[in-house]
Amino acid sequence: MTSTANGTVAHRRRYDVIVVGAGMAGSLVAKQLGRQGWQVLVLEAGTGGRETWEGHLDAVETFRSAVAKVPNSPFRRNAAAPSPDVLDLAPDGVGFTANGYFVQNGELPYGTDYLRAVGGSGMHWMGLCLRMHPDDFATQARYGYGRDWPIGYDDLEPYYTAAEREIGVAGDAEEQRALGIRSDPHDVYPMHKIPPSYVDEVCRSLDGHTVHDPVAVEDFTLTVFSVPHGRNSTPDPRYAGGLGYRPTGAVGLPNYGERCVGNASCVPFCPVQARWTPLRTQAEFADCVTLAPRCVVTQVINGSDGRIRGVEYRTYDDPESAASRPYRAEADVVVVAAHSIENARLLLASGLANGSGELGRNLMDHPTMLTWALTSADGGQIGPFRGPGSTSGWEAFRFGDARAARAPFRIEIGNWGWGWAAGAPMSNVGTALGVGGDREGNIVSAAVFGTKLRHTLGDQIGRQLQLQFAMEQPADRDNRVTIDDRYRDAMGNPRPVLTYNLSEHVKKGIVAAKRVASAIYAQLGAQEHTDHSPRDGVAPLGYFRYRDQDYTYAGAGHGAGTHIMGGDPTSSVVDSFQRCWDHPNLYAVGCGSMPSVGTSNPSLTMVALALRSAEQIHRDLVELHRPANLSGDRARAGGSVTITEVHP
Amino acid sequence: MTPTHHPSGVRGATGSESEGLVLGDQELPFALPENLPELRTYLQGALEIEHLTIPPYLTAMYTIRAGTNQDAYYTIRSVVLEEMLHMTLVANLLNAVGGRPRVARPDFVRSYPAKLPYSALDVTIPLQHFSPEAMRTFLLIERPQHVDDSLPSGKGWTSIGQFYDFIRTGLLTLVEELGEDKVFCGRRERQVGPADFYNSGGEALPVTDLTSALLALRVITEQGEGLHDSIFDSNDQLFGEQRQAAHYFRFNEIRTGRTYGPHDTPDTPPTGPEIDVRWDQAYRIDPNASIADYARYEDTAVHEHAVAFNNAYAELLAHLEIAFNGLPRFMILGVPAMLRLRDLAERLHHNPHPDPDKKSRGYFASATFEIDQHQIERGHEIASARVHTTNLNAKLPVDLSAVEPS
Repeated sequence: MTSTANGTVAHRRRYDVIVVGAGMAGSLVAKQLGRQGWQVLVLEAGTGGRETWEGHLDAVETFRSAVAKVPNSPFRRNAAAPSPDVLDLAPDGVGFTANGYFVQNGELPYGTDYLRAVGGSGMHWMGLCLRMHPDDFATQARYGYGRDWPIGYDDLEPYYTAAEREIGVAGDAEEQRALGIRSDPHDVYPMHKIPPSYVDEVCRSLDGHTVHDPVAVEDFTLTVFSVPHGRNSTPDPRYAGGLGYRPTGAVGLPNYGERCVGNASCVPFCPVQARWTPLRTQAEFADCVTLAPRCVVTQVINGSDGRIRGVEYRTYDDPESAASRPYRAEADVVVVAAHSIENARLLLASGLANGSGELGRNLMDHPTMLTWALTSADGGQIGPFRGPGSTSGWEAFRFGDARAARAPFRIEIGNWGWGWAAGAPMSNVGTALGVGGDREGNIVSAAVFGTKLRHTLGDQIGRQLQLQFAMEQPADRDNRVTIDDRYRDAMGNPRPVLTYNLSEHVKKGIVAAKRVASAIYAQLGAQEHTDHSPRDGVAPLGYFRYRDQDYTYAGAGHGAGTHIMGGDPTSSVVDSFQRCWDHPNLYAVGCGSMPSVGTSNPSLTMVALALRSAEQIHRDLVELHRPANLSGDRARAGGSVTITEVHP
Repeated sequence: MTPTHHPSGVRGATGSESEGLVLGDQELPFALPENLPELRTYLQGALEIEHLTIPPYLTAMYTIRAGTNQDAYYTIRSVVLEEMLHMTLVANLLNAVGGRPRVARPDFVRSYPAKLPYSALDVTIPLQHFSPEAMRTFLLIERPQHVDDSLPSGKGWTSIGQFYDFIRTGLLTLVEELGEDKVFCGRRERQVGPADFYNSGGEALPVTDLTSALLALRVITEQGEGLHDSIFDSNDQLFGEQRQAAHYFRFNEIRTGRTYGPHDTPDTPPTGPEIDVRWDQAYRIDPNASIADYARYEDTAVHEHAVAFNNAYAELLAHLEIAFNGLPRFMILGVPAMLRLRDLAERLHHNPHPDPDKKSRGYFASATFEIDQHQIERGHEIASARVHTTNLNAKLPVDLSAVEPS
């Protein structure tokens, strides 16, 4: 069982490792190092409590009562450790305003959120577990854009396997091999794939059809592929050479672990705990791992020799008040794993790790363009709002030489109707009832009620198809996180100041994606309803105009790049083990290290990198503690000792 | 009365020697099973015992008003899941020793109030709404051996644990006499394994030899009654689950409204933190409700729903019989069947009793769990049709998208 400690217990104590952040990366690093016997302190800025059954039920109730089911809706407001919320952003006619935690001064909005709580964003993630493709690691060398990784897919492959075992991934290895993403022909995932949805089968009717991409000037063939999930499904008895796999159940209540049964609320919340969260990893912490929630790390402390001494953190009792007390803890190794944006913010505020000037820069996301349509009435209902948000996709546009011409994209086939794009199904009810009146503010006379309302809703909602186009965004130095003395949160810590824009390369990708979407809908005989244009003079959030056409994008929740990895200290913040070049005992772990994000959800890659880093941290600690070995021939020398070699 | 022992099988039973048989009351000799047919008969009896408790537990659970008594609800639910695991493990044991589990028979479902089979206790088990009385009934059912250590009299056993002790001892003796291979002669393909029925209540382990058989028996008795002299069950030793109090003690926590604390023992009441139990937040039902009774009233809606419930229950039993007899993968079809039962039970409980007098006294309608031969046959037809339309095998993920609801 997970046990948490009060932040005061760590005051002025010394640990082998301090991990900042109890999210996905931080929890895995802590678990691995704890298993190897190191004393680990995990400091989490946010609150916990979800690891108990009562906490889980409380989150269920909070989520169900939330009016807007946005990713952070099951969580309560925390003034001491605020998190960005997608609701912070609003269009304001010409551009956008940003209230809340982020300060934004860029051309375009960074529409992505994260969660500061025990479990981090892993508490509200969708759960898609895609590996990056080998080509994704060298886009500059192959296609002339972005930044290359100092390591390749082969270096990361064993850690991908370990990550899939750790999380418990349900997928179809054969399909991933067909995409060129896995090599071992006998490899299977721990669990069988989540069954594709009926929506997926509707899309599968286009298998073998071609679609023309006018920007890349190339034809692509459509094939629907299922996507691997970090979600309980049917164990595959062939896994691990026939050892099989036993899924991990719920945290906090024995015998309640369930497989996915189609609740369709994964983001933000799985009521049956089928989706993996870091709480499961935390439940396996060894006794030498201490988890202290409500501890906001305010500074990473440097010594005069460039070696990090430890951290300063503030603990609070009441999240609504931000009144807090400062403490210090020391360690041989400090790992910041607080999210790419939080890592950058903290290290900038501490004045560390920025010899290259790249800290905070290269902020990335997967700008996601939403498109939506109604399938033809002849085809009947397609059954949206059942199952996880997406169980399949079209992968063809992710790869190939077309990447030189425009950003590649992955097409997520959405299972949740027009939820993301238009707020369905609630918005359908509002529209049918004429809520808000007509353009002049008069009551809508054509509103429907009763049986007619039910039929209208059933017909409309039941045919909603949404396709989500996740664009690869390459590293761009001008997209960055900075801090500014003028902008602080309630505790007095600097807030992240974001400067964000989309490059030409990405915009061209969005143009291509929009055309591909229309072609797909046409081939399906569906009626497209995508509308990115301003309404009554107000442009939607994430709007831009390109060659006289309107486009809109949303944030995917995939923050990355802010402590970029490289082979050279002058142009990167961390090495391939995510160790800061400037401080040999400071690690910045997370998607912030990724030089490129490809077109795959980054969590699995982050976990693989974290496991690789944990191994290196262990080696560092072993090195630090191993006694010097004096080898001498005492026997031969007779009386005197001659030291012939000293092994450090 | 001293029961006499018949070498050819159990007195009064019908059928061939190789089958476990569904029995009426008082047909099992209160002696150790001395041959394979008797062992199978005992195991079939165990199947009935494990099943017998499920309708009363479900009734208590589904009469809790939504949103109240969450602790009690999830506790009873976790016990139900474990009882289903026990049924599965018993079916595995029976299959392993060459028997054939029978669950889809009219006499398999006792009529309630039912008597605990083979029990020396003069205890009837009614279908009761969530109440202190219901909890007391459950405590009697789950009473651990060490709470009452007396030997079985000629009338029967004094605890379920004692009954399983006989099975265990009989099994060990038979293995010694006949050899492991001769005893465990069942086909491996009939075993329900973790991929077929995982994570609910622990793990469905296949039974293939003495070690696995003893482990299965241990799971059943320790989940129910607790490790010898402790309050906790062995889940954390066996499956890596968190510690959980055995059924008896979980029910006692609800009944007393307190959890067991760190200094409590099996013989003393719980002294830990209180649980919020509200007995008034339950739908009161008539334990003697019956289809025949419901048929008498002008408003037929309750009657129709009660019949529909019993039909759905027959379908569930048919699914289990199919799964326990060579198609273990099809256990998964029990899941939508159970959800249908839940929906029908909740609908019944939300409606007042059709008798105006009972209604005025605050009684609601309820499920009756009465099954006749006709319903069993209908259940078999529907279940078999579903099995045909569902493509399930061990190499594929479980995908129920083709299944038609009834």
